Amino acid sequence: MRFFSQSYSYDDSWSIVTLAFFLRYPNPYASHVISCDVISRDHTPSGSLITTRLILKKGAMPRWFPKGIISRAESWVIEESEVDPYGKTVRCVTKNLDHVKIMQVEESVRFAQTAEGKTLQHTEARVVSKFGWGLTKRIENHGLSKFKANMQRSREGVSLILTLLRQSRLQPMTMGVESSQDASPLVERPREATTHENKGNPTLWAKVRKYFQQPPPSDT
Amino acid sequence: MSQSLSPECTPLKKKYDSCFNSWFEGYLEPAVAAGKSSDTRAAYSQKKADEFNQKCGKVWEEYKSCIQIAVKERGLDTLLQQARDENPLVEPIPPLPPAKSS
Repeated sequence: MRFFSQSYSYDDSWSIVTLAFFLRYPNPYASHVISCDVISRDHTPSGSLITTRLILKKGAMPRWFPKGIISRAESWVIEESEVDPYGKTVRCVTKNLDHVKIMQVEESVRFAQTAEGKTLQHTEARVVSKFGWGLTKRIENHGLSKFKANMQRSREGVSLILTLLRQSRLQPMTMGVESSQDASPLVERPREATTHENKGNPTLWAKVRKYFQQPPPSDT
Repeated sequence: MSQSLSPECTPLKKKYDSCFNSWFEGYLEPAVAAGKSSDTRAAYSQKKADEFNQKCGKVWEEYKSCIQIAVKERGLDTLLQQARDENPLVEPIPPLPPAKSS
């Protein structure tokens, strides 16, 4: 078993980081995410929200891995989260459901608001292989270094969504209507002016939804 | 928004996600309206949950039944059940290391 943990601080408030975290697929740093579904969502009596998502991710096997064991390098991942808006915390546990004998990666993430109104992310990961054949260690080490690299990308993805949310918060109108001055590649995707019946106070989501409803650039 | 695992469910998923996201944003910032006591919070939480059901309940039921069929068809329900049995979310996550300033 390999274990890893790291903390990271975002300058933004907990609510906006949480929103970005839930909106993080799709983003250009997460092109390995094929699908993402909510399979259950419940409100607890104490006011928390518990969500289970089922995510399909593309992967690649290392070159040294024996051929013919895995026919398709895809993996189903379950993500269970609890959002507590009063305690201002999110807990989220993610792990792969298949190929678990070869390797299981379990990730726990926690977001909590700090006294200064920033957001602290604490991540822990456990990588376990039961493969044997003298490869267990090598698989676990590989899994761990992949995890670290992916964590970096995942953070960049969340930061990108955060930038989008921050920019749109400053816009009086829907994003991308005519905001070419601050020519961020981020806000260039939504082209058309949206025509929703905003009653003067559009939500952030109403402002950024166009961005998320555009097909990803890789699609044709 | 990302695709559903089943192409037939994708339109419903997008409709649902969009509805959820609008609601979620307000849900994340309850402090003022909800107050500090657990009673007012419980009442406020109930109100938010009702609001969700009213706004998104119908599309959620439609999306959920679509996805449940898709999950069964792919044999994912047994995988999910195993994962739940092994490690339910209720298992506590270790607390954060103490923040420097607090």
